[in-house]
Amino acid sequence: MSRHVEELLALEAAGTLSPEEQARVAEHLRECVACAGQAEGWRALAGGLRELPGPTPPSGLVARTREAVERRLAEREDRAWNRAALGFLVVFGWTLTGVAWFLLELVLGELAIRFDRPLGPTLLWFATYLAAGWVAAGAAAVLLGRRSQEEGRMA
Amino acid sequence: MTEAPLDLDRQDAKRLRKGDLTGLDGLMGRHRDRLFRYLRRLLGDETVTEDLFQQTWMRVTERIRRYDASRPFAPWLLTVGRNLALDHLRRYRPQSLDEGPEPAAPADAAGAAPDPLAHLTAKRRRERLGEALAKLAAHDREVLTLRFEEELSLKDMAALMDAPLPTVKARLYRALARLRTRLLTQGPAEEWTG
Repeated sequence: MSRHVEELLALEAAGTLSPEEQARVAEHLRECVACAGQAEGWRALAGGLRELPGPTPPSGLVARTREAVERRLAEREDRAWNRAALGFLVVFGWTLTGVAWFLLELVLGELAIRFDRPLGPTLLWFATYLAAGWVAAGAAAVLLGRRSQEEGRMA
Repeated sequence: MTEAPLDLDRQDAKRLRKGDLTGLDGLMGRHRDRLFRYLRRLLGDETVTEDLFQQTWMRVTERIRRYDASRPFAPWLLTVGRNLALDHLRRYRPQSLDEGPEPAAPADAAGAAPDPLAHLTAKRRRERLGEALAKLAAHDREVLTLRFEEELSLKDMAALMDAPLPTVKARLYRALARLRTRLLTQGPAEEWTG
């Protein structure tokens, strides 16, 4: 018996043939005793598989799953809130710094006019101070973001 | 009038999208058995199955927005579970994903005994069949459980396994042939040859 015929008989028992294939196989089985015997074997195997008792979830698994999902959702909410708070703080900090820069420029400009002397070096030091603040805030944001991602992966 | 399971699934999925966990209760109530059965057959280990069962429902809850409610829920659920199970098998038991040897030629396998189950009592048949099934490779167990226990159509199986229809057909035949060969060649010979 060719492998093709064997395959058709197995798939017939599995109930996966097209109507045309099914009709061809049925016609052949009426004439071929050997194939009819083989077909019975495949059908017995398929029937056995259909009747096989399937494993069922142990008691308590569904309740444990429900609790685990609740915990995960609560953690996710916490993380979302932390991310939002962190974002707000970073934006707020940078805004304050930006505003401080313009205020200082304004004050120093007034002082320079009043005392009639350049305040360039002071301005430069303040700019360095502000830049350091920005870099520190940026680094903190990146580090906290990474930590948040790691927590998310571990959860 | 009672509602069709498909409609109930849609309603529960909608609830879950809004964060209402009664939606999860409904979906778990209707689909827990088939998910557990599928994962258990695919993974073959009770503890790992329980772990991945939980992970699957967590992922379903997190990704419920990706579920297309115009389609049945069960195949999507099984796909989520399948992806997690295959990740696990790739990581911890890559050998279990091997296709295994080609099934023996029909004459060798069947020859004298067209029905390897014919001479056994029903209980003994189930036991031997269950043992033989458990010893097959994960791919074979998967395709057999999807067809015979979950009763998925070839089309649904192809979508779930992300494989073309002819490939699924070939896999199904090979899995059946390997199972049959195993039943004929393993265990007491008199049980299979009559």
